[in-house]
Formats: sequence, C-alpha cells, structure tokens
Amino acid sequence: MNMRLLILGINVLVVSVLLVVYGILVGDSGLVGIALSTSIVGGVLVVYSTTPQDPSITALTGYSEILVNAITSTLEDLDLLESQVCVVKKSDSVLLVYSKIPCPIEVDPGVGFTGGSPYLAIPLRTLSELVESSSEAISTILERALITLLIEEYSACKSVRVEEESGFYRVYISGLVETLKQYLERPVDPYTLLTLVAASRALATRCVRLVEKRIMPDSVLLVLGVERSAE
Amino acid sequence: MQSRLSLLLLVYTLLVVISAISLYVLGEKRVDVYVSLNILAYYVSYATLRPTLTTRAVRFLNIALFVIFAIIVSFRVYEVLTS
Repeated sequence: MNMRLLILGINVLVVSVLLVVYGILVGDSGLVGIALSTSIVGGVLVVYSTTPQDPSITALTGYSEILVNAITSTLEDLDLLESQVCVVKKSDSVLLVYSKIPCPIEVDPGVGFTGGSPYLAIPLRTLSELVESSSEAISTILERALITLLIEEYSACKSVRVEEESGFYRVYISGLVETLKQYLERPVDPYTLLTLVAASRALATRCVRLVEKRIMPDSVLLVLGVERSAE
Repeated sequence: MQSRLSLLLLVYTLLVVISAISLYVLGEKRVDVYVSLNILAYYVSYATLRPTLTTRAVRFLNIALFVIFAIIVSFRVYEVLTS
C-alpha cells in the first residue's frame, strides 16, 4: 500500500467533488466534465495505491538471505542437506520441518531427534489473512491465497496456478523475481516456504510436504503432498 | 516496477490534463466527452506502459472503466439512431 499515492488520490477526489458542486451551481457543464474527469484520475490513483511496493520484495530478499545462510549451515551440521521439507501444523503453531523422515508429526521447535533421525523445526507465523471458503475447491482457495501472498503482497512472481492431481497439488509459479530466483537451488527458498505455509492453512491438514521441486528458467513447479498419518 | 507505475500515472495525468484543457478551450459542454476521453487516455497509457504487476483491484478498475466507456458509446449510438 502506497500511502502517499492514496492520500493524493483521496485529495483529488475531494477537490473534484467540490468542483462538480461548483460547476452545477454556476451552470458550467464544461467545468462539471473536467471535475468528473478529475474524479476518475483520483479513483485511478487510489486503486494504484494498493499495488505492492518495492520495499516488500526488498525486505523479503533481505530476510531470505539471512534465513537461507543460517539454515543452510545448520542443515549441513545436521547432515540434512538431502532431507525432506514439510510444514507441520501443531495446535498453537506451524513448524517448517527438515527431516529424513517424510512427515514427522511429533516435533518441537528447534533441533531434535524423531524416529532415529535428526530434524530441524522452525516455527512460522501463520497467515491469518488468507481467505477460506468451504464452497470452493481447495486448489482454488490455495491458488487465491498464493496470488494474494506472492503476487499482491510481495510481487515475488507474475502468476500462480494450482492444479489438483490424484491427491497431489501442483503449484506452477512463473515470472520469478531475479533477486529471489538464486535461492531456488538452496535448501531453503522463499517460494517453497511461502507455498508450504499457505498450503498448510488452505488444505487444513496436519502436514504438507514438498514432494518435488522442478526448477525452470523463469518458473518453478512445486508438487505438494498431503500427509495425514504421524511418523 | 515502481518507476514504471509512476511513469504510467504521469503519462495518464498529462494526457488527461491536455485533453480536458483542449476540450474546455474548444467550448465542449458535454460531460460524457470529458469522461470518455479520460478513459481513453487511461487505456492508451495502460497499453503503452503496462505495469508488470496487475492486482485484483486494477483488474476491477479496468473492467469498471470499460463498462462506463461502453455505456457512454452505446448512449451516443442510440442517440444517433433515434434522431
């Protein structure tokens, strides 16, 4: 949200309304026309004030760099570079879990062992702003949630498409931002992370795991699997 | 991205100012002419400097402006046909 553009748009709208009133009072329809034209300009400014700003993506890039560097070194120490990544929903929190076990449910934040294998669990903030509707298909809810998050909030890509195929959700993310594309080859990348978090909320399941990540020149395909059983 | 959006708004505003002043100086009294030229100015700017990101609100604005433009044109065509 660009507050300066929003205030400018509202000011233009107010001035145009006053001009319309004045134009009607003095009987000058040309002035009314100019005022109505100005009100459209104000409306356009207000609408464009809602488009995401550069600082959103800048902040996400900076945060991603810190997160990727920190987690990669931890994963190296735990020998979890070839691990599976999933999001586990607990009663009061959401955890991003790296483990060699597909979808461990009994995990706590931090480093630990489950089923004889080490894991790294990072608590994540849930995305409460995502809209849920029981009447729509889950893939549609997930797609809308990802559009809101990746396109409208962070401008991290140009388009998102979600398809459901025999219990798996195929998420196509295209038009990737150059600054975030570099993290796709790393164990942690913002696209996977944000998609998993959005999916864990939209799918209303305890665990969502990344089954496959296919990186293409300007896009990425993430295949998500829903795990319902523990360990 | 932001510079492109700023350029779009600048070009659009300039086109609107030029068209509104020209119409007023020419003594145009029809309100719908001002509005339709404004919408045309918006679409010309949008087509020329298409922003990389299109949000839901922008899509709704595009549809709303197109509907207003279509109504104005339809009304004018109806007037010509019935006169």
